[in-house]
Amino acid sequence: MPIDAAVLTLAQWFSPSFPVGAFAYSHGLEWAVQAGDVTDAAQTQDWIDTVLRHGAGWNDCLFIAAAYRADDAGAVDATARAFAASAERLRETDLQGAAFATAVANLNGTTATPRTYPVAVGEAARAADLPLELTAKMYLHSLTSSLAGAAMRLVPLGQSDGQAIIRALTPAAQEIATRACAASLDDLSATAFATDIASMKHETQYSRIFRT
Amino acid sequence: MVIPQAEARQPRALGRIAVSSKLARGRSVLGGLHQAGSSKCLFPRNNTASLDAVVLNTAGGITGGDRFAVSAEAEAGTSLCLTTQACERVYRAQTGEVGQVRNALTVGPQARIDWLPQETILFDGAAIDRRLQIDLGEDAQLLMVEPLVFGRAAMGERLGTLDLRDRIMINRAGVPLYHDAIALAGDASTHLAKPFVAKGAGAMAAMVYIAPDAAGQLAPVRAMLPDTAGASLIGDEMLVARFLAADSFELRRSLLPVLIRLKGGPLPRTWMI
Repeated sequence: MPIDAAVLTLAQWFSPSFPVGAFAYSHGLEWAVQAGDVTDAAQTQDWIDTVLRHGAGWNDCLFIAAAYRADDAGAVDATARAFAASAERLRETDLQGAAFATAVANLNGTTATPRTYPVAVGEAARAADLPLELTAKMYLHSLTSSLAGAAMRLVPLGQSDGQAIIRALTPAAQEIATRACAASLDDLSATAFATDIASMKHETQYSRIFRT
Repeated sequence: MVIPQAEARQPRALGRIAVSSKLARGRSVLGGLHQAGSSKCLFPRNNTASLDAVVLNTAGGITGGDRFAVSAEAEAGTSLCLTTQACERVYRAQTGEVGQVRNALTVGPQARIDWLPQETILFDGAAIDRRLQIDLGEDAQLLMVEPLVFGRAAMGERLGTLDLRDRIMINRAGVPLYHDAIALAGDASTHLAKPFVAKGAGAMAAMVYIAPDAAGQLAPVRAMLPDTAGASLIGDEMLVARFLAADSFELRRSLLPVLIRLKGGPLPRTWMI
């Protein structure tokens, strides 16, 4: 696909109007805020940076790349499900992936296969002949953006603080996506343990506005 | 002029155990045993229907270039509990030498394995590549824990250079159920000090419990956990938990009651000494 058309397709996939419902998931941030671990813009940026480098950011890019390269992404999807750190993490990737795959299938007049979110993205990018690395970068940018959006509501942060965080983390998102696209599922690594524990604790949080 | 000397290669320890449990008059007894090199397996007597096995590393630890493997099988309907004689120490490795651990468990139909090794203590300079592969048959049950200690806290040891690759893969009938992967390279202490990585924790454990009563165990297990640990039920029969703790003592304090509850009885005696 010519690069302009590729950018515009990805912009559509990762725009807030694409019916994935990313705004409903905080990835456990809601618990971190309630526990008093995230109280300002600097901590928010550190929290998102940790998720990008040592959690879903890095690992989802590996799943995107593996699904993109696979003739049948079923095995990659099974690994992605088993890799979910908690029930809410599994729900988050399962529901967003199913919604994404359905939206793309509706556009193309095809039938959707339920996949985790990164696997659905990798599969769709391959089918649309989109460049892998750009796809991964746009995915990470949208993850950054939706987590910053959650933080703006939860912490709360002002619009300009939220936007400053997204801009500050954009180089990291680019660099992580580039490295992940040159790696394989042998390089999976989840060490953002505190964020995984937060996502488990969120399941019992009494008052909450996010699904995860 | 200084002539660089070639570093002496560390002696390479090899250890291998293959052990299985079989059913005899309603009790789980030793089926087969093969042990080689620096690995030994002991079978302390117990008063239960389960077979207890204690793995012993006669090399006293793991260093670069060592190769250790345990493969254990619980045949249909049997119960096998595996632990270690002591904490496993992973010593400083020479440059380019990585210790390798490959453990594999096969849990037959209606069988159960309790995989309860004591802590693996990573020393500064440790280099280790470890895999635990678990295959579950139909209605097989599992309790597994892998506690990791990052440096000798009592000595104030920092892990300035670490090369850890650790994987746990649990499948049922070939389908992945649980997959955990940790790669820590370089200055692990600085990494673990980050507030949203491990908040400076010196010890960590992953625990998985797969059994028909897992859903019922979620609430009581959660009630036992400190702020630095979490549990979740994935699907109907798999309870997963992650523990962070200041050091190995604190880790044991939160881990032990949970393990005893899910094992449904006391832990192997080597844990209690």
